[in-house]
Amino acid sequence: MVKHLIKKHLKVKSIVFSIVCLLNLSFNAQLGLAAEAAKLSAQATEGEKLFKANCTSCHAMDIKQVGPALQGVHTRRSEEWLVKWIRNNEKLRASGDKDAIAVFNENNKVAMNLFENLSEDQVKSIVTYFKEWTAPVKAKPADGETAPKANFYSETTLYILGFLMVILLVVLLILRRTKNSLKQSLKEIEGEVKEIAEPSAFQEKLAYYKKRTNPTIFKLGVGIIILLLLASYGFYFGVTEVGVQQGYRPEQPIKYSHKIHAGELQIDCKYCHSTAEKSKQASVPSVNTCMNCHKAVQLRDRYEGEISPEIKKIYAAMDYNAEDQTYGNNPKPIRWIRIHNLPDHAFFNHSMHVKGAGVTCQTCHGPIQTMEVVEQYSTLQMAWCINCHKERKIDVENNPYYEKLHAKIKQEKDNKSSTYSKYFTKDGKIDISPAQNGALECSKCHY
Amino acid sequence: MAKKQLYWKGEEELLRSKEFLASQKNEFNEALPLDEVFSENDLGLNSNRRDFLKFFGFSVAAVSLAACNKAPVRNIVPYLVKPEEITPGVANYYNSTCGACSSACGVTVKTREGRPIKVDGNVNSPISGGGLCATGQASILSLYDTERLDGPKKVNGSNLESTDWASLDTAVTAQLNAIQIAGGKVAIVSGTIHSPSTLAVINDFKTKYTNTTHITYDAMGYSGILMANKASFGDDKGFIPSYNFDKANVVVSFGADFLGTWISPVEYTKAWSAKRKVDGISADGKVLKTIIFESNLSLTGTNADYRFPMKTSQEAVYIVALYNNLATLAGVAQLPMTKTGELAGGAIKQTAESLWKEKGASMVISGSNDPKIQSVVNGINLLLNNYGTTIDLENHSNQYKGFDADFIQFSNELNSGVYQGVIFMNSNPVYTSPLSEKISAGLKKAKLSVSFAGTADETAMHCQYIAPDNHYLESWNDAEPKAGLFQLTQPTISEVFDTRQAQTSLLTWAGLAAKPANDPFEHKGIYSQKLSASVYYMYIKSKWAAILEDASDEAFNTALHDGGNFDKYKKKPSSVPAFAIALNSLVADLEKTVGKKEEIDLVLYQNISVKDGSLSNNPWLQETPDPMSKVTWDNYISLPKALAESKDIKNGDMVNITLGAISMKGMPVFVQPGQSNGTIGVAVGYGRQGKVGEKGVFDAIGKNAYPFLTLQNGTYSTVTNGVKIEKIAGAYELAQTQTHHSIEGRDIVRETTLGEIKTNPKAGNDAAAPHLYTLWETKDYKKDGAPNHHWAMAIDLNACTGCGSCVVSCSIENNVPVVGRAEVRRRREMHWMRIDRYFTFENVNNTDYTKELFLSRDFEGKNVTKETGLAALDKLESAKKGAEYTYWENVKVVHQPMMCQHCGQAPCETVCPVLATTHSSEGLNQMTYNRCIGTKYCANNCPYKVRRFNWFRYNDNDRFDFHFNNDLGKMVINPDVTVRTRGVMEKCSMCVQSIQGAKTKAKREKRTLADGEIKTACQRSCPANAIVFGDVNDENSEVRKLFKNERSYRVLEELNTMTAVKYLVKVRDTEKQA
Repeated sequence: MVKHLIKKHLKVKSIVFSIVCLLNLSFNAQLGLAAEAAKLSAQATEGEKLFKANCTSCHAMDIKQVGPALQGVHTRRSEEWLVKWIRNNEKLRASGDKDAIAVFNENNKVAMNLFENLSEDQVKSIVTYFKEWTAPVKAKPADGETAPKANFYSETTLYILGFLMVILLVVLLILRRTKNSLKQSLKEIEGEVKEIAEPSAFQEKLAYYKKRTNPTIFKLGVGIIILLLLASYGFYFGVTEVGVQQGYRPEQPIKYSHKIHAGELQIDCKYCHSTAEKSKQASVPSVNTCMNCHKAVQLRDRYEGEISPEIKKIYAAMDYNAEDQTYGNNPKPIRWIRIHNLPDHAFFNHSMHVKGAGVTCQTCHGPIQTMEVVEQYSTLQMAWCINCHKERKIDVENNPYYEKLHAKIKQEKDNKSSTYSKYFTKDGKIDISPAQNGALECSKCHY
Repeated sequence: MAKKQLYWKGEEELLRSKEFLASQKNEFNEALPLDEVFSENDLGLNSNRRDFLKFFGFSVAAVSLAACNKAPVRNIVPYLVKPEEITPGVANYYNSTCGACSSACGVTVKTREGRPIKVDGNVNSPISGGGLCATGQASILSLYDTERLDGPKKVNGSNLESTDWASLDTAVTAQLNAIQIAGGKVAIVSGTIHSPSTLAVINDFKTKYTNTTHITYDAMGYSGILMANKASFGDDKGFIPSYNFDKANVVVSFGADFLGTWISPVEYTKAWSAKRKVDGISADGKVLKTIIFESNLSLTGTNADYRFPMKTSQEAVYIVALYNNLATLAGVAQLPMTKTGELAGGAIKQTAESLWKEKGASMVISGSNDPKIQSVVNGINLLLNNYGTTIDLENHSNQYKGFDADFIQFSNELNSGVYQGVIFMNSNPVYTSPLSEKISAGLKKAKLSVSFAGTADETAMHCQYIAPDNHYLESWNDAEPKAGLFQLTQPTISEVFDTRQAQTSLLTWAGLAAKPANDPFEHKGIYSQKLSASVYYMYIKSKWAAILEDASDEAFNTALHDGGNFDKYKKKPSSVPAFAIALNSLVADLEKTVGKKEEIDLVLYQNISVKDGSLSNNPWLQETPDPMSKVTWDNYISLPKALAESKDIKNGDMVNITLGAISMKGMPVFVQPGQSNGTIGVAVGYGRQGKVGEKGVFDAIGKNAYPFLTLQNGTYSTVTNGVKIEKIAGAYELAQTQTHHSIEGRDIVRETTLGEIKTNPKAGNDAAAPHLYTLWETKDYKKDGAPNHHWAMAIDLNACTGCGSCVVSCSIENNVPVVGRAEVRRRREMHWMRIDRYFTFENVNNTDYTKELFLSRDFEGKNVTKETGLAALDKLESAKKGAEYTYWENVKVVHQPMMCQHCGQAPCETVCPVLATTHSSEGLNQMTYNRCIGTKYCANNCPYKVRRFNWFRYNDNDRFDFHFNNDLGKMVINPDVTVRTRGVMEKCSMCVQSIQGAKTKAKREKRTLADGEIKTACQRSCPANAIVFGDVNDENSEVRKLFKNERSYRVLEELNTMTAVKYLVKVRDTEKQA
């Protein structure tokens, strides 16, 4: 019987061990194979810049938007034709160019903007970009941010496994106890006389203290300690959890996908969030911004000739009739759900960060270009703000606003007693963080 | 060094009553209601252990439940089609014209996401010059007043029935036609209108209804000047001239409060303060010497170099005496007045001499509404050659045009049935006129009566229809406040309610409101956005083609952008007019106006906030303390000390005043230092009735004093001789802010005289530098000097008039709540900025009464304790009581704006247990509300007493129904400033939101900050340019120059607080004691 029990014990142990191993494996699994971007020639890089600045609101390389997909366009048309078309398509059409008229008709007779402000060389560089463009293997998270959280296992499975482990541990303890008591009774049956051991020095001491301690006070003391522990947990919970909505991803009235717009179509963030460089608020775009593209982009090809139901919601908001292209008199504003809720007493200014300090959107909003549904990426806690203000550097050399600060730092470089002498790296470069320039002061954000 | 002047804040401090001394030593004004809290009976609870456990358990459960609650879902609702000019989060500014009174200051309106949140002076406007008065500032809140009518109404007894515009138009047009056919007359009764387009609309209306008369009626009008100018210079000169204070070296005023309420105070303050500059003045340099003769202590009186108390009913005597003195100097005949007089010390004669010295660069004005007195004033100015220089009839003012006689005739004809139709436009005679009952009786007889009032005011409630006009911030309009100076008013918000511009209504009734063919506001589809104003907009545009001599859209839009035709406004050359009146013929009439010396004069006045009462439903104005008495939320009888003593009346008593059949019962009393003996004063603009007050708090604040206006030589006079005053039982505590702190004999305000400053630029400011020491280590940033900015402010006490405009401006900019009368009594006013007013006695009979009365012998240089104070008081009581009180009417006043001084070493910062108030590297004392736990230690330790504790959630509490607690009133909140909750300290932040905004802009645009780019709210509003804010680290900044000025000093410098605010010594032009 004992043997049997021991065997069973070993079995349990092995199961637990294997579960733990399995878990470890999954933890160690590495994901996020970042693809290397195709190397472009200097001319094509120039072209890419121009393309993103001027064209992406209507064109993508691989998908048809308002304008046709441009992948391989250089094989379909001559470079000369492309230059003429891009710079002034109206003129080209007026000249009776058959291809031009055909393209115009194919694309619902939506006239393309004129780009006479671009020089011929610039347009050529765009065409070079078309030539050298290759489809990206995988969207790469911008700005060296951490890879998106792996979805290989979900948190629920983790919880279930953890729960199982706890149950198994409990079973283990019970079994151990049963085994011990069985062992004891076995000994008794076998007639082994139980020895009464001499109390050890430790046991004696314990007994002494037990005698001296008032049991009520002891219980109270233990109670207070437990209460204090609970309270400190409550405090910790309050500080880290209450009002922190990290990961908040509500369902929005329109299933707008940043993954498609910002990721795949690579529309510049500031095309829609146009006030991010001018104002406190980055602002959700007004619905007419959506209509700029979606008047034409209806995705009928994916919905059996019908307009996409999500795009229909935009039309409903504007009371727009897609058939006869008219606006009605019954528009209904869209009530988006606010994700990033800063408390009212904290004043965050987008323009200062985006334009003034050159912080990318992803620094705070995470890999937004991969999010199908947007979620709050950062904690938005004050400590998070402060960290960034401590870590980033101010570009005092290139912004005349900091003229005086810059001069002062340079002047005090060798004056070791001055605070300013601290603002240098070992190799003598100026190194001053916003925090060192007063960005941690209360009324910089609270007023 | 000159003898140190001693100042006091109020009678109670001067006389040191036992109550005052006791209360000053307590932390709280009233005893804390501890007994109440602990007495079981009052709570009706038998608190014991079980209850404690119950409450404890409940609170724990409630808190845990509350904690479980997820944050509420918040929405973002973007525009469907975003207007091109709006960037969410960025303010837009529009130039317009203030509509709070007919002075028509040019203003710049700040809007956020399409709602106006602040009105400031337009820097290019020749009228406002960038300043604005308290009333103008506060007028923005009247836009968001829930008492405004939500649409056209039909009045049925005391009820209002809603109707729609179409049926109102039909009914009114039918009546108008019926009246015309019946041969009756229609009157349009309005306040002064100087809008060329509105006048054209009225003319068009007259063309359709030829039986129409336009009657201009001003509540507190200037008929006297208008009639005198007509009589003196010809019928075509019946207007108010331009008074050029900037060209004068001496101004003598008889009761005209030109810095406070007289005609165009903002314009005059601007010019006056510009002419009072003393920096770098040469030995023979001149400032504008100001001499005033008056009864009530007015704002101008407190700022004058010489102030002579006068019984206003004797004004004719003194003005004729001044004329005769000047006539002697000029060598012309004197006026044969039998009643003659001179003030103590030969004041009139000396005034005449100073005027004569500045012939051609002087000015005499009078606040009297008597045309005969004004004619003599014209005569004086002619003797002094002032026409063509300081007084300009060519570039005259249009700001007030009402003749009382026209209105009196109208009231008679309305009752006799001549007028069968009446239209009231921006006019409320049932409240403001002494003929109130006559008008309301007459209105019952009229076939048609319509009011354009935006609220159901007294007159509107006696009309048949109310066709509510837009607020001026919702309106198109124009103005011509001065001949040739044209301004535009543009809407900065679409109509909040279903209201319609009065001009559009008139055009509609005249059948001229056809929608223009190319209406710019009529768009198709979702762009459809209709403004009822558009009819009138097209009308104005066509009129302006002629004004601008350019019909192009561009010209009009440029004028609209600028706020008027400022760049084209050129003054005409001014000349000396011919005098067409024999002053001798007036003497008989003048003699009649002279009151009996032994009788009491009642002098009505407008105070600087509520003014004529048209904006009395405005809590910001009600809570602005009167500059002289510091009383809020009430009008009161202002008594001279002598009269109070003789009748045994004290502050807090109540009196009845009667004049024949007219009486005011149960008025509170305020013993006003500076009130002339034999006179009492009371402010108009209070005691509004009608629908306005129905909701409670505004119900009849104070009492109506308009019935005391009496006819004198054909116009309404604000002065009546022979009122009776009688003390009655009862007590009333006025909500006064002045006694909330005490001066304790400290050196807080400094002043000197012009003569001294000419020889010694440090005059009045040459106190020995105190020995400074500190307990604290100098912080790093101070050691090295703040590298970027060090914000600072300089306030010129010589320019500041104490008008209170900055107080209102600050409250609007910083979302400072209004607390109401009861809370002000408890010393809980929230104003971040206050204007301290310090009195001192003029030397009369070579006795320094301040020193006599003020128990400085015991206090000077010693610590003041309750015990020494009380001991000194006993000494005073045994000392002789003043047998005569002439010194009480001879007070000098210094105003001192006081707000957080942003101490470099702040006493508040060292005592805060939670570091809620800290110092920034830019020199600001920062207050972090979300950290504050409300211990109030900081307020206790603040030597300047500028910290305010927020006792209630004023924005969400029905006990404080001051527009801040409803959705409409909240529209005025500045989104860049936190709305504080209860339980926190708050104080001036030096408008840190503007600082941060401007810095961000500069960083974004990669450039340095320019001096003057950041302006604090108080600075922007100041009509006297007394406040300068800037960066003292910037070598070229204005504020740095002022910090180095010899006149600059820090208040309580001996405390080594190293304040970031410096004051500049006040200078009075009183070399020679009169």
